[in-house]
Amino acid sequence: MHDIILSTEGLVAGYGQTTILNGTTLSVRKAALTTVIGPNGAGKSTFFKTLFGMLPVRAGKIIFNGENIAGQKPLGLLGKGMAYVPQGRNIFPSLTVEHNLEFGGISLNNLPETRQRMEAVYKQFPILKTRAKAQAGTLSGGEQKMLEIGRAMLLEPKLLLIDEPSIGLSPIMAQQAFDLLLKLRDNGVTILLIEQNAKKALAISDYGIVLQQGRLALDGTADSVLNHPEIGHLFLGGAVQVSNQ
Amino acid sequence: MEIFLQLLISGIATGSIYALAAVGFALLWQTAGAINFAQGEFMMVASFIILGIIHLLGVGVLPAFIIALPIVMFLLGFVFKRVLVDPLLKAGDFSLVIATVGLGIFLREGFRLIAGAFPLPFPKLVPDTVFNIGGALISANEIAILVMSLIVIAALQWFLNRTFIGRCMEATAQNTDVARILGIDVDRMILYTFMLNAVLVTVAGMLITPTYSAKFSNGEIFGQVAFMAAIVGGFNQVRGALIGGFLIGVLDNMMAFYISTQYRTALPLLLLIIVILFKPEGLFGRREERRI
Repeated sequence: MHDIILSTEGLVAGYGQTTILNGTTLSVRKAALTTVIGPNGAGKSTFFKTLFGMLPVRAGKIIFNGENIAGQKPLGLLGKGMAYVPQGRNIFPSLTVEHNLEFGGISLNNLPETRQRMEAVYKQFPILKTRAKAQAGTLSGGEQKMLEIGRAMLLEPKLLLIDEPSIGLSPIMAQQAFDLLLKLRDNGVTILLIEQNAKKALAISDYGIVLQQGRLALDGTADSVLNHPEIGHLFLGGAVQVSNQ
Repeated sequence: MEIFLQLLISGIATGSIYALAAVGFALLWQTAGAINFAQGEFMMVASFIILGIIHLLGVGVLPAFIIALPIVMFLLGFVFKRVLVDPLLKAGDFSLVIATVGLGIFLREGFRLIAGAFPLPFPKLVPDTVFNIGGALISANEIAILVMSLIVIAALQWFLNRTFIGRCMEATAQNTDVARILGIDVDRMILYTFMLNAVLVTVAGMLITPTYSAKFSNGEIFGQVAFMAAIVGGFNQVRGALIGGFLIGVLDNMMAFYISTQYRTALPLLLLIIVILFKPEGLFGRREERRI
């Protein structure tokens, strides 16, 4: 069994007057790929934003590697080994690929070391090396996702939060993104994934977490979540239907 | 043809000053989400600070400009952000828009009380000489304006693209949330942007005030034109705001000569309406995706 790398206890967060996370208590296992599923509005993305210090924690704890990190800012969390790739487009289109990648090393505060690590990322993503001087906006959707993931991997994080990486990608590109996540997991990175195509994501995951109305509804091995009768009916059917539209 | 060339060059010279203020406008909007309707008055205040230093210390325009820079950066950059923008932006963009309109009126009327309603002479960068270039009469002052603002624009582009801090500012401007996720000190970048804007209005004030003399009301039209230049060119791109400034400067000059000086202030408005109707993201702007 895997050790716990991250856990939350009674996490409460939201936007303005609205509370989205309503006492979320769950845990995530080290060096595994865990997929978070749940209906729209269940608080999946809010959960990630709160973990990564983008939203204030109103109550509860976030324990990462044994330390309560609730209330810490992204810069500090990057230094502690957490990285976050949000939904949508997260590159700076008018800056070059190289300059986009360079931002991955902000928390190092050391440009020569950042450059060295960029070479390591280029080894893993040769396409980024060949396009290094091109404006990032000229990359294909899949290449842009690679750039985002490569940038997040620059600091060799222990935990990667990644929200809907396959959205807007062709099936082949989406498959490549999933393969990449598996490869990272095999290298010991813990991955917490939100994915619209829940069935497909659970099929490649080690564990599954089901959120409903900002609370943990179910968790367990990916198989057990995938085969849970109620979950299959509630979310997976819906998700598959949506992705076929 | 000579006349056309003459109008073109002086239009580019004036336009380059609009461009400076328009870029400041666009940068504030992009990084901080702040629309500064006191931008014209900022230029006016900066010009009075330069003028005050010239009189107090008995120095020339350029040394006075250099001494004025840190003062303007502090007052119209740091203090403006801390006292007005930071508390109000929490209440939404609109409160800030109204507050900057109010600040503009306050500064305008304030300087009418301090400096009086009559225009005060403001020294030119270079002595009055007129060159005859292929029949076109170009004044040394216009050339100095053009050279100076082109240097500032080139330095700005260099700073934003070629230095790491500049790229962090650019990243903050393009996508604040992602910048924050990457660990960029977004708040500091926003402060730098306010200071950069103060530098731009100070340069604009030094370059344009000799033409009109220093007067409390100088910022009124100037601020409007800079705002329109930013909209016409594209509010979300530095390059767009630059081109918008040049475009309005040139068209304004042509209009005044070939059609009528009476309609010259209407031209930017007309351009604004056409652009908003047919190309709302601006001539060189980037379409923004808004998620609902």
